Amino acid sequence: MAEEKPLTVVTCTAPVNIAVIKYWGKRDEELILPINSSLSVTLHQDQLKTTTTAAISRDFKEDRLWLNGEEADVGHPRLQSCLREMRRLARKRRGGSAGAAAPLSLAYKVHVASVNNFPTAAGLASSAAGYACLVHTLARLYGVEGELSEVARQGSGSACRSMLGGFAQWLMGERPDGKDSIAQQVAPEMHWPELRVLILVVSAEKKPVGSTAGMQTSVDTSPLLKHRAEAVVPERMAQMIQFIRQRDFEGFGQLTMKDSNQFHATCLDTFPPIFYLNDVSRRIIALAHRFNAHHGKTKVAYTFDAGPNAVVFTLADTVDEFVEVVKGSFPPESNGDQFLKGLPAGPASLSDELLSTVVLEPVPGAIRYILLTKPGPGPQPLDDPNLHLLGADGLPRSSA
Amino acid sequence: MHTRVGGQVPAGDRRAGQDSAGCAGARCGAGAPLGLCRPRLCAAMAEEKPLTVVTCTAPVNIAVIKYWGKRDEELILPINSSLSVTLHQDQLKTTTTAAISRDFKEDRLWLNGEEADVGHPRLQSCLREMRRLARKRRGGSAGAAAPLSLAYKVHVASVNNFPTAAGLASSAAGYACLVHTLARLYGVEGELSEVARQGSGSACRSMLGGFAQWLMGERPDGKDSIAQQVAPEMHWPELRVLILVVSAEKKPVGSTAGMQTSVDTSPLLKHRAEAVVPERMAQMIQFIRQRDFEGFGQLTMKDSNQFHATCLDTFPPIFYLNDVSRRIIALAHRFNAHHGKTKVAYTFDAGPNAVVFTLADTVDEFVEVVKGSFPPESNGDQFLKGLPAGPASLSDELLSTVVLEPVPGAIRYILLTKPGPGPQPLDDPNLHLLGADGLPRSSA
Repeated sequence: MAEEKPLTVVTCTAPVNIAVIKYWGKRDEELILPINSSLSVTLHQDQLKTTTTAAISRDFKEDRLWLNGEEADVGHPRLQSCLREMRRLARKRRGGSAGAAAPLSLAYKVHVASVNNFPTAAGLASSAAGYACLVHTLARLYGVEGELSEVARQGSGSACRSMLGGFAQWLMGERPDGKDSIAQQVAPEMHWPELRVLILVVSAEKKPVGSTAGMQTSVDTSPLLKHRAEAVVPERMAQMIQFIRQRDFEGFGQLTMKDSNQFHATCLDTFPPIFYLNDVSRRIIALAHRFNAHHGKTKVAYTFDAGPNAVVFTLADTVDEFVEVVKGSFPPESNGDQFLKGLPAGPASLSDELLSTVVLEPVPGAIRYILLTKPGPGPQPLDDPNLHLLGADGLPRSSA
Repeated sequence: MHTRVGGQVPAGDRRAGQDSAGCAGARCGAGAPLGLCRPRLCAAMAEEKPLTVVTCTAPVNIAVIKYWGKRDEELILPINSSLSVTLHQDQLKTTTTAAISRDFKEDRLWLNGEEADVGHPRLQSCLREMRRLARKRRGGSAGAAAPLSLAYKVHVASVNNFPTAAGLASSAAGYACLVHTLARLYGVEGELSEVARQGSGSACRSMLGGFAQWLMGERPDGKDSIAQQVAPEMHWPELRVLILVVSAEKKPVGSTAGMQTSVDTSPLLKHRAEAVVPERMAQMIQFIRQRDFEGFGQLTMKDSNQFHATCLDTFPPIFYLNDVSRRIIALAHRFNAHHGKTKVAYTFDAGPNAVVFTLADTVDEFVEVVKGSFPPESNGDQFLKGLPAGPASLSDELLSTVVLEPVPGAIRYILLTKPGPGPQPLDDPNLHLLGADGLPRSSA
């Protein structure tokens, strides 16, 4: 009946994901097909999420988009890809079943508003959550079900992994048309209940090289990247899936750190070279290795994306101690802000040995705050009408 | 003190009835009888003199196709070939004096004035190899007396004319100098890079001037893992080398341990050695022979970056580049972009110092750009050392697009140099580092 109502509104939320086997480099720019498979952990939406409301109405004159309250360019090619693909899928999946009236709503313009519950300045990749949310929301709006990661992929590659909770892999696929380049769940949200994720948000710096341009340059210029994609990643994908399914943190952690480093190595092998790690990143890496060496096993594992923030995986029983170690190494500026956000952690006292061998040369203020989270679910509907980001007029509601 | 050119005493040079101990003559100081006074004779006379002293100097080299990783730890055989530029000894050199005497009780070594451990395995490798070579090359030609000097102990003193704290790799120059000096002492000629290699891999490249390659070789015994000259010192007269000495930091991971860990843990390093370097070696040789700075520069930067990429792909990862290194890299790329061509090319070894290659006509401008980006602390010290450079004024456009966000004091000084010769003899007896007693002379 949507065609006859003045306005149909749908709201969903979608998660951020962090790759532990990295995606870097496309074999097809238009369809966003990668040169290797990748695997990620979906983070919990209590701490990080994108909320998207999509409204459709025959009264809308044109497609419009608002991001975090600001109107954005709806003509963006990636956004258009998503809209076009969703409408195409909707058309296909409806077939002739809804009669002559059905195709009308696909001609109607759509208004989309999206907000993140985390600051853009934090440098946490929001395009994955954003596109996953958009696709999921439009799917509900148009009544499309089934495999959707392919559509999300065309908005932003890693968005396909945000279509699933828990642990997801993005199969690179072989077909030129990309229909087999989709996301699949490796393990569900509750598979590894003790796993924790600490995001160390480092102090704002110069904007790093954007991913899209960066990975293109890497594909064009790095001999090591080619070898990584062809010879290293396939084996690592298999190993990582095993480690996750067996809840083997030693294996999971080591491989996560190695793959993060290898990704950044291929950035350095790019010409001109791309640097996402800075001195603070290196100190965090060194700290993690000292911490693990102190304990004689892999207890924390870092990974870095195309930006300065560190993501550190650990198990619940290590969180308190490691947070204390981070505080000691990167003493927070005493500006009243909370240093630890997200899930709560308790205090921990550090042994003298730990302090003397692990916590070295404090760098005050280098880390702005820590966000503690854990694996979480895929996109979710939001049925409370009070939470729609668009009002009955199809325009953004002013903030309460 | 009579210094020897090196070489054996031909059997035919000995007069009948003369034994090698018989020289007490006056003219050559070595005690050779009149008529037999020629430098080569000294080799046979050395055993009888109280002390024979030889001094040489040897250069530093900077690799443009990097060596990182061994396939044999003991013989120091690399997993890939490498290629370097030998720097001029006017700016950087190691001076080594070796003395041999039957009165010495043991081998001894002094580095930069301090006595050092002569038992160091690498040093022992060099000494042992030199003595073996000396024994072999003398054969039986010098009679029964010859092997004696090989049993004599040797004193070695070595100094660099550049500070160790500058982080400029001195082991290459040091071992090349030692080998060259011992060769002169023992009268050994011919292929010596193999011996230097066993002291420190890259030392073999310091045995040659200009542009040198270290062929990785295939033989398990390493006899084909030697250095060869790609082009001589004067081949590229306009080429200049700027060493940007950055401020002292925590001591980075040592090369020997670092490259071992890389070989053990980095999948990308294996691929580099097998699939990337061979082609790059051929390309680099071409670029150098054709004096193609665009090609030379780009490949130099790429190979430096790839080396550091394999360090990052090591587990645990090794970081030799720091924030200052990255700023220098970014500066170089902006400078080249501004000019629309490759005018400067950076390379970094296992430490923070940057080496920047350029041509003579770019030096002044680039030095000015570096000063603008890394303003020197005004502490009275000279910022530019080595070869002189002139002032340059930078265009507004250059200033606004290339010189960004100055970081005062990040670079301690710049050393300007150029390609130079291989090891050289030092015949002035006043410059020997060891005195007649075989001990280090106190500094003048």
